[in-house]
Amino acid sequence: MSGVVRKTGGRRLPAASPSLVVGLVITAIFVAMALVSLVWTPYEPTALNILNKLEAPSLAHPLGTDFFGRDVLSQIMAGAQVSIVVAVVAVLVGAGIGVPLGALAAARGGLVDDVVMRSTDLAFAFPALLTAVIITALAGPGAVNAIVAIGIFNIPVFARLTRGAALGLWKRDFVLAARCAGKSDLAITIEHVLPNCTAVLVVQATIQFALAIVAEAGLSYVGLGVQPPQPSWGKMLFDAQTYIYTAPWLAIFPGLAITIAVLGLNLLGDGLRDALDPKVRRAR
Amino acid sequence: MSRYLLGRTIALVLTALAASLVVFVAMAVLPGDPAAIILGTGARPDTLAALRAEMGLDQPVAWRYLEWIGGFLVGDLGTSYTYSVPVADLVAQRAAVSLPLAVLALVLSTLIAIPVGVYAASRRGRAGDVATMGVAQVGVAVPNFWLGLMLVILFALTLGWLPASGFPGWEAGLLAGLEALILPALALALPQAAILARVTRSSVIETLGEDFIRTARAKGLSGEAALWRHAVPNALIPVVTIMGLQFSFLLAGTIIIENVFTLPGLGRLVFQAIAQRDLITVQSLVTLLAISVIVVNFLVDLAYAALDPRLSRGGAR
Amino acid sequence: MSRLLEIENLRVEIPALTGAAPILEGVDIGLDRGEKLGIVGESGCGKSMTALAIMGLLPGAARATGAIRLDGRDLLATSEREMQGIRGRRIAMVFQEPMTALNPVKTIGAQIAESLILHLRLPKAQAAERARALLDRVGLPGPRFSLDLYPHQLSGGQRQRVVIAIALACGPDVLIADEPTTALDVTIQAQILDLLEDLVAEMGMALVLITHDLGVVEETCERMMVMYAGRVVESGRTADVFAHMAHPYTRGLFAASPRSALLTSAREPSGRKRRLAAIPGQVPDPRARPPGCAFAPRCPRAQDDCRAAPPPLAPLGAPGRADHAAACLHPHPPSGMAGDVAASAEGAR
Repeated sequence: MSGVVRKTGGRRLPAASPSLVVGLVITAIFVAMALVSLVWTPYEPTALNILNKLEAPSLAHPLGTDFFGRDVLSQIMAGAQVSIVVAVVAVLVGAGIGVPLGALAAARGGLVDDVVMRSTDLAFAFPALLTAVIITALAGPGAVNAIVAIGIFNIPVFARLTRGAALGLWKRDFVLAARCAGKSDLAITIEHVLPNCTAVLVVQATIQFALAIVAEAGLSYVGLGVQPPQPSWGKMLFDAQTYIYTAPWLAIFPGLAITIAVLGLNLLGDGLRDALDPKVRRAR
Repeated sequence: MSRYLLGRTIALVLTALAASLVVFVAMAVLPGDPAAIILGTGARPDTLAALRAEMGLDQPVAWRYLEWIGGFLVGDLGTSYTYSVPVADLVAQRAAVSLPLAVLALVLSTLIAIPVGVYAASRRGRAGDVATMGVAQVGVAVPNFWLGLMLVILFALTLGWLPASGFPGWEAGLLAGLEALILPALALALPQAAILARVTRSSVIETLGEDFIRTARAKGLSGEAALWRHAVPNALIPVVTIMGLQFSFLLAGTIIIENVFTLPGLGRLVFQAIAQRDLITVQSLVTLLAISVIVVNFLVDLAYAALDPRLSRGGAR
Repeated sequence: MSRLLEIENLRVEIPALTGAAPILEGVDIGLDRGEKLGIVGESGCGKSMTALAIMGLLPGAARATGAIRLDGRDLLATSEREMQGIRGRRIAMVFQEPMTALNPVKTIGAQIAESLILHLRLPKAQAAERARALLDRVGLPGPRFSLDLYPHQLSGGQRQRVVIAIALACGPDVLIADEPTTALDVTIQAQILDLLEDLVAEMGMALVLITHDLGVVEETCERMMVMYAGRVVESGRTADVFAHMAHPYTRGLFAASPRSALLTSAREPSGRKRRLAAIPGQVPDPRARPPGCAFAPRCPRAQDDCRAAPPPLAPLGAPGRADHAAACLHPHPPSGMAGDVAASAEGAR
């Protein structure tokens, strides 16, 4: 007898999801940075100091200074405020309109469902960022219009997601039981359907939050987001482009901030999805 | 099959019409009279009225819509308020930059994403998978306009291999044109490739778990052969859908990227038209872009059906 | 001369986090050309693992030790590359789920021709010709069943015929059929089994038929083995095993099969219908097997010594039934079987 071992598989990594932890930590830092900047930043973010303009990173200015001598680190900290406010409100607007629409479509079906679904089809025909640019450009730049422009494209996303999740729930026994008990569609939606959609909605909200941060930065980059002197990451990138030859670090750090914030939210979304849906964990 | 095609085509036309109507209504309710914008605030009422009549602005709204959309069918997108040339000509001229840019980005993204995704799937859970998917995770988070700036710093300013911005025009030769487009295309393609690679990976992993892979191995196919001959073709069917969706992202991406690289494309045209309140150009251009997204999605659906025999060939039993 | 397929002391384990858990232990099989061996047991008892071990297609981290010899050559010591030349060429396999065993985006012709091209290096046209002949042979005649059909255009039974055609394409020496009829309608099951039997006889292959259906084994196979929790608990000529059923688990399986209900209800004078006796409890998890006989917790005859150490598979020593063996310290005595089955079923309740 030969005792040969055939090794058919290599070492595998444990199934536990580090995404959730890393995502949570990055997101917490990101939020904390915005909160701290409300009360303290190394320098006044908007304070001009022409003598110190375009300084390379140093101990005094860890991320350097821009053309007006403003401290880049302080600006990035304060810029997180805009990113968070615009993104959160845009996602809330999208979810606030999209979720009821989706729930309505699922509850009523028929013509209502068709109208809602065809409308979302139509909305998806317009490239989101392009349309946001046009909306803000025509309606005038600024935070509120940026929120509206970004929020509009969150509506169909949430409507579809809610409808899909709710449709499955409407076929479940506990909903049938509630119907037999004579509860109205609205009561069933609020008591049984929506609470059971929370998990998917939270995961999607995290992802939309990340997309909204990029969209806000994009709008600010083309000069259509929040207006100076309020610091914003996209605007910083736009300003940096002029000095890309002489002060490339100006372009590096705001972009890194965007990337890390978005990465954290994406990881958080992935981690939440894995944690909330055991089926997905198996497929990973 | 032909019934399916007919139904889909009707839906395509209806969606396109609805999109044009949305754009038209949105532009019509905007404050500001185009004629007044062209003539400036000091214009005399009778010149204003004459211009309004010439532009057809005194017609009923419904008639204006029909006239505009009718023009679309014969390739007349209206006349630019500011340049006084047909919008179609402006679009054609700018599309010669934007379209190659979008196509180049799509090709690059696909060429990068599919091998990477398949590789990661084949090394599932091992170092190669974890490393590539870690990079992809970061790649998804990178905003393309910032990546564009970073590419400029690296390849144009530091290494001096490629131009930092501008477009010499195709008259300067294919090579010069491509040289100007390669960095913007990369900036657009890499984040999309990261998404596509993740989708490809999970699709391939799912397919590798299918029974028919075991059948293929039992036939004597190597793991590699089973992967490429049986898993990948099946796994790429859903990937095609994602590629179609990416077209819309790429179109929107060009508008910002063209600003980073100062390329004379459709994105720049949109900005200029907005800045100059050249509303007819904005209106026609946005509608055109929406229609192209709708058409691409339609083509993707057809490709999906063609690739999956379960959809294109009925049951014989 | 060595036998066609000989498995000696096969052990398969998955090094889990909690140490090596044997999925299979001490499995011995001998098979000659033209012979038909049935392997029975509940799901999770290791039947399919045995098949995959022979094919060299064990999942992920599983490791096999012992020996699996094909014409004297140890397959466990054979490189993966060489195994690829053996799979589909000398050993072929038919799977349980015909609905998913075929690639949905490739034509059935291409899927049959694939192994002909791979192993026999046939040019495409010739491979297609052979594929056509194979389809005809498995009962899917042209032109109705064209090579250009896709799997979804066929019924479950028809797809299983295609799977069989793929397995037979290169004329293998050993055919392993893993629950080939379980997923099919009852009326189709008999047809597929008949087809398999005919083909085995015609091509002189050896057949390993894995099933949970004792009736199928009795009809088809001259030899059989019963597996439980990764071990062989009873083996021998099918007629001998059925005549005696020494291991309580074998009796339990029989009592749980519809066939025994027919047998016993015929004897029941009251005429009242007897329920199928299910074996109480379930197959233990490989990580939490009892130290002694794995069947002891479910066994009506278990005694203290059963729980000490797993009993070895030992010949029962009945005259004229040389290779009838059971792994049981307290086997049923050889006696009138059907009555005992009823009794053991009562006792098990």
